[in-house]
Amino acid sequence: MLVNDPEAAHWPVDPARLDLVEEFRRKPRGPHSDELQKLLHRMRWSGVGRRHVLVTLEPNRRWMLGRMPGRRGAPVETYPNRVFTSLAEAEWAVFVLRWEALTGRKLEIAGNTPE
Amino acid sequence: MTDTTAVLGYAWPLVVSPGEEVAFHLSSATLDGAEATLLRVRCADPDPDGPGLRFHQPGSPVDGPVALRHQPLRPGSCAIIPDAPALRRPGALSLAAFVFPTAPGGTAQTLLARWRDDTAQGWRLALDSEARLEFTIGAGGRLWRVTAPRAVMEREWIFVTASYDPASGRITVSQASLDPQAGRDTGGSASAEAPAAIAWPADTALVIAAHALGSGAAPRTGGHFDGKIDRPRLLSAARDEAALRALAESLAPPPAEPDLVAAWDFSRDMATDIVRDLSANRLDGRLRQMPMRAATGANWDGRTTQSTEAPELYGAIHFHSDDMHDAGWSPDLRLAIPEGWRSGFYALRLRARQGSDDPVESFVAFFVRAPLGKPRSQLAFVASTATFLAYANSALRLDQVHAEAMLEGLITLSRDDVYLQEHRELGLSTYDTHSDGSGWCYSTAKRPILNMRPRGATFNYGNDTHILDWLEQIGQDHDIVTDDDIHRHGAQALAPYRCVITGSHPEYFSRSMIEAFDAYQRGGGRHIYLGGNGFYWRIGWHPTEPHSMEIRRGMIGLRTWEGEPGENALSFTGEPSGLWRASGRPPQRLVGVGFDAQVFTRSYPYAWREPARDPRIAWAVEGIDLDAPLGDFGLRGGGAAGLEVDRVEPTLGSPPHLLWLATADRLDYGGVPTLEELRTLHRGTMGDQNARVRADIAFFPTARGGAVFSTGSIAWACALSHNGYDNSVSRLTGNVLRRFLDPSPFEGFDSQSRSRSDGSI
Repeated sequence: MLVNDPEAAHWPVDPARLDLVEEFRRKPRGPHSDELQKLLHRMRWSGVGRRHVLVTLEPNRRWMLGRMPGRRGAPVETYPNRVFTSLAEAEWAVFVLRWEALTGRKLEIAGNTPE
Repeated sequence: MTDTTAVLGYAWPLVVSPGEEVAFHLSSATLDGAEATLLRVRCADPDPDGPGLRFHQPGSPVDGPVALRHQPLRPGSCAIIPDAPALRRPGALSLAAFVFPTAPGGTAQTLLARWRDDTAQGWRLALDSEARLEFTIGAGGRLWRVTAPRAVMEREWIFVTASYDPASGRITVSQASLDPQAGRDTGGSASAEAPAAIAWPADTALVIAAHALGSGAAPRTGGHFDGKIDRPRLLSAARDEAALRALAESLAPPPAEPDLVAAWDFSRDMATDIVRDLSANRLDGRLRQMPMRAATGANWDGRTTQSTEAPELYGAIHFHSDDMHDAGWSPDLRLAIPEGWRSGFYALRLRARQGSDDPVESFVAFFVRAPLGKPRSQLAFVASTATFLAYANSALRLDQVHAEAMLEGLITLSRDDVYLQEHRELGLSTYDTHSDGSGWCYSTAKRPILNMRPRGATFNYGNDTHILDWLEQIGQDHDIVTDDDIHRHGAQALAPYRCVITGSHPEYFSRSMIEAFDAYQRGGGRHIYLGGNGFYWRIGWHPTEPHSMEIRRGMIGLRTWEGEPGENALSFTGEPSGLWRASGRPPQRLVGVGFDAQVFTRSYPYAWREPARDPRIAWAVEGIDLDAPLGDFGLRGGGAAGLEVDRVEPTLGSPPHLLWLATADRLDYGGVPTLEELRTLHRGTMGDQNARVRADIAFFPTARGGAVFSTGSIAWACALSHNGYDNSVSRLTGNVLRRFLDPSPFEGFDSQSRSRSDGSI
């Protein structure tokens, strides 16, 4: 039986590479440089812990942050106070959470929303 | 936020003709009633950037309030053998079977039982919650139990026995590993005290892979098993393990053996829900919830991979505790479709709590077909019901590790997805894995399907309605024919139409369906394929049960699960499954283009190629600037070429007369080639470096004045409505449709095509 291994992505994340953070902040939907692609794959393959997702509140207009429970049949965890009106804004918010989880460092950069 | 799941239902049959009756089977756990409205669907996609939800309301007798009740779903497959005198023989008994557990431990799982759980009477062979083989007998409020010493191992064959011997007052279990080396031996036996006499219960069904919760011939069941069972045997005598092993190994146990109560052979009638008993008692049974048949038995040795060639190696059934193929709900509304109604995508809308913060709007979809041989238009649009079923209740984005990486962005869940995450009892799609990790190979329509209805996930059903919306917009009448009918009636279902359109993703084809299209095209039919990744997987339809399809994913192709060795032929038909490319009918041969890549980063425009200036195709490009990009807009990624894309490939059958009109061949790093495109591994195969990752538009004439036009992209359909439908994608599609409805032949292609049209070959 062939299965996917969520822990297989092992590109080393360098906490000093704030240039990649800035690149993503500017353009969450890409296109991205080779190294940012690798960082994103590192984040997206495993989800970095329980996977953050979006729950659509209004089709193509409003989304709420959610998190998968990690097992079938259990409810999706939702964060009603984290509502986004653009996918780019949501991508950036989840990127920040994952960056902090992967590097153990908080992101303190000017402008916390995508341009 | 609209609640799309407070009431759910399914329509049966899924496809009806005018004059026939459709029944709506509904359930709500929370609502007493809803307001029902019958609608014909024009656009099912609620995206406010597109046409939005659009319906026609014909007015029907079912419009109005409908009372609702809760009808539960009871997943889990098993075989039921109704009670019979031979099963009630007093005294001793023995059981034997080969067993392949796929999710042992956690909860108790019954292998073989004549047991009623409400009174704890009878006998039951099971795996306990610690994955140990356990034999239980019960009577008069007492239980006797014996448990094997070692837990079974996941996905390893074992031979198991159990017996009750009143003479010695013992019950016994044993298990033997078929590969007892290198750490895989779980063998052992155990024996315990038992009564000198026992009264077996009356009126209790024998159940394989579960046990009865009560009495009767059709009991509810519990304790469902995940895994394969091969050659189960039952005797009315206590026999030792060696004797039972010989009896189980034998493919033809002697029916005259007087103590042999039953010897089931699951390799018989593999396309049906019947299980056959080879003993003289003929204790045949029925399967519930469609477990996987044509499964390799413990004796499968790789000498063949086709169950039809050596059925005796396919004596196993793979049962799943979450199999769900017939909800079994009672109908709540019935509607005779008026004779005058046109064919179409239809839906019953159910509304409740209107005006509240959480209004309910849920849909139950069905299709009204144009009756065979009675076309009302020269154009037919194909409802890709095989594809809709293949994707029915897809949990891919919920369960699969690769989904976010593949889709190149955060996963967005609809209310339907959030519901499905919690309610796996709906049964999943053929993209998903069962709770034991094995792939879902069957999908049926006798259950609510969340993503084949308005407001549902747009992939397939929703995207296809953008084409219906466009046809309505341009005032083009059309009939609807469904995959089910094309399979059943073959080319006859298509023949009355001058032109047939297939939609955004007509991916799943039976042999009958693909031959119908081939015959239609060769017979002068015109086919417009407005999608991507079409004509890709080879499927089977159930020989008698409507709206039930099967796919075996095999080991090539873009597959979300991999078939097990030897289990990649269809149980419904005995045919190979997998890719049509592997069965000698690559899509390029039928429609000129074939699947080559996915691109989810964004979608792209096409660039026109020189053949677009060929005078023989001037009718197609009329009014279109061939120096401008084609389709640099659209609701799916901002382009007409995207999601899943197809290319022209002569080595796979794109015909010599094909005109390759346009290409989107700069799909950047997000263009990822499909697995069967790669013979060997090397870097540089993505779209930024690989010109074979692309979407192509192609035209070619076929015999007798027929023709094919293909756009090779799923995103195409969702670009049609851009700029108030005034755009190059809409114009090109309209030009082609107009010409394809004009019966005059396509001139200027070489003499071979003319001689064919003269019938001289």
